[in-house]
Amino acid sequence: MLVKKSLQSLTGKLLFTIGTLMIIGSTLFWFFLFRHQEKELLQNSVKYGYSFVDYIKKSTRYGMLTFQELLIQQTVEAIGSAEGVLNVRILDSQGRVKYSSAKEDVGVILDTKAPICRTCHVEGGPTKDTPSWSIQRGDKDFRILNIIQPILNETACYTSTCHAHPKDQRVLGIIEANLSLEILDKSIKQQGIAITIYVLAFLFVISVVLCLILWNLVSTPVSMLAKGMERVAGGDLDYTININRKDEMGELANAFNAMNADLKKAKNELMDWGNTLEKKVQEKTEAIHRAQAQLIHSEKLASLGRMAAGVAHEINSPLTGIVTFGHLLLKKFPPGTQEREDIEVIIDQANRCSTIIKGLLGFARASAAEKALTNINDVLHSSMNIVRNKADFFDIKLITNFDPALLRVKADSSQLQQVFLNMIMNAADAMEGKGTLTLTTRNISENGRDFVEVEFRDTGPGIPADNLEKLFEPFFTTKPVGKGTGLGLAVSHGIIQDHDGKIRVKTKINEGSTFFIRLPAQRENT
Amino acid sequence: MSTGKILVVDDEDIVRTSCSRTLSPEGYDVRLAKNGAEGLKMASEERFDLVLTDLKMPDMDGIEVLRIIKEQWPETAVIIVTGYQTVDTAVKAIKLGAYDYIEKPFTPDALITAVREALTNKQE
Repeated sequence: MLVKKSLQSLTGKLLFTIGTLMIIGSTLFWFFLFRHQEKELLQNSVKYGYSFVDYIKKSTRYGMLTFQELLIQQTVEAIGSAEGVLNVRILDSQGRVKYSSAKEDVGVILDTKAPICRTCHVEGGPTKDTPSWSIQRGDKDFRILNIIQPILNETACYTSTCHAHPKDQRVLGIIEANLSLEILDKSIKQQGIAITIYVLAFLFVISVVLCLILWNLVSTPVSMLAKGMERVAGGDLDYTININRKDEMGELANAFNAMNADLKKAKNELMDWGNTLEKKVQEKTEAIHRAQAQLIHSEKLASLGRMAAGVAHEINSPLTGIVTFGHLLLKKFPPGTQEREDIEVIIDQANRCSTIIKGLLGFARASAAEKALTNINDVLHSSMNIVRNKADFFDIKLITNFDPALLRVKADSSQLQQVFLNMIMNAADAMEGKGTLTLTTRNISENGRDFVEVEFRDTGPGIPADNLEKLFEPFFTTKPVGKGTGLGLAVSHGIIQDHDGKIRVKTKINEGSTFFIRLPAQRENT
Repeated sequence: MSTGKILVVDDEDIVRTSCSRTLSPEGYDVRLAKNGAEGLKMASEERFDLVLTDLKMPDMDGIEVLRIIKEQWPETAVIIVTGYQTVDTAVKAIKLGAYDYIEKPFTPDALITAVREALTNKQE
């Protein structure tokens, strides 16, 4: 499993390929070197063999010419006893052994078909007259080099007095020597072993070096890159690869680090964008919600207005009947009677209905307000004059902080008076007839636009947070039943909206509430 | 006891009856019409000192009744009775010659006061 995995890796594949090529190369190298060495050594041996045989020929030449057979035999024996010489023989042309280092061979006639003869007596062809050699397997481990040199006829031979050879005889005999190749074989074997060891050592060293080089140059950086990829894929964009090299791997690592940095930058930008986007969407959503709520509120008021107009028309006539007949009945009972009190209750409740209807009609202002340039301070003064003498205001301190240079506002003064009266009456109700009401006016400039702001600050109990949301909703009231219709602020809100203005409220429990009315102001010259 | 002939034009029976029950004991001669056409017909048959007309009626509205009466019998005083008052209609009514306008629901005293004032000023 591990081997299979190693072979599948890049380093494994490279090592396997290069290793196989090196083993094949080394084997071929080993084979040819061995063969070459063997051939060289053998050629040297053959050369030596030829010299040896020539040496025998020259040593026995005198004996031959003078036909001293004993001398020749002794010379052959002496030479044959030398180390590495197995035997030396001289044969005549008939194949008879004339002289031999082994005495018992003398006189033996060899068949021309014997292996030794076949080297010269090639079938169907003339005998060779040049020396030749052959290798034979010896009895022991080593081989035998067999050298044969023909003894050619020459003038001295056929002119000699002894037993002259005929002149036309070309080959007179042969000299044969068998030399042991034991030393040569041993040497070849030793050299073979040495070469094998060298090749194996070379292979080992090269393999180790190759492994180290591949490990350093390929495997380590590739696994670092792979690890880097894994980390980046896992989301770690701070990871960097440290390969401080100037080759392709170094360039690859630098490119990887650069890519990673870009990726991180892009991701951060994307995240920033995502965060701000979320915030922007949230803001937009809130704005839409606000606008929607405003729209629903306006729509509510508008439909309420339409309904109020209808209801007012339908209800007022029966109310007229109740009030009229109530009064007619009233006259029939003297003051102080129970019946009279009961009828008074009926008339009071009918009047209460009438008040509610009048409040409702605040929404049914079908006609456009009659707007003219108005001084808000004047409207406030006249509103205060209306309430000042009311019993509700006897214990309320009215403070005014009016800006004498207050800008004028394009408004319907009677509608504004309705709003201001409502604010003042509400404050008085909140303070339960005791406290301080401060009215302030001021000019405000915002975003290059001018506004007039009216502030109504009371020292009442404040408005609980739960009620703040519903404050401007029609029919929302905290006053006792019969005292408030819950329409005052809703109608005021509608009127101020008609004037492109805004009402807002700031309140603190047990300290009081402040209502702000802001209206767009007009510069005198416009 | 006051005197005067008064025509009440209103599509609502209860309003007509209320007016008649309020004004008759005061000595006024009160006639009732349940719409504009009937009112105008009665006005053409006998002379009225005062006409009380509702503003909103199905066939002919109070403004139209006012316009025709003021056109044909300018000496007849007209008081507009309205279910809900707006500045617009009030201004329009006064411009067309209405003496006053009175808001529903009205008390018998308020009605009597308005009628008395209208008739007194007319006589002057």
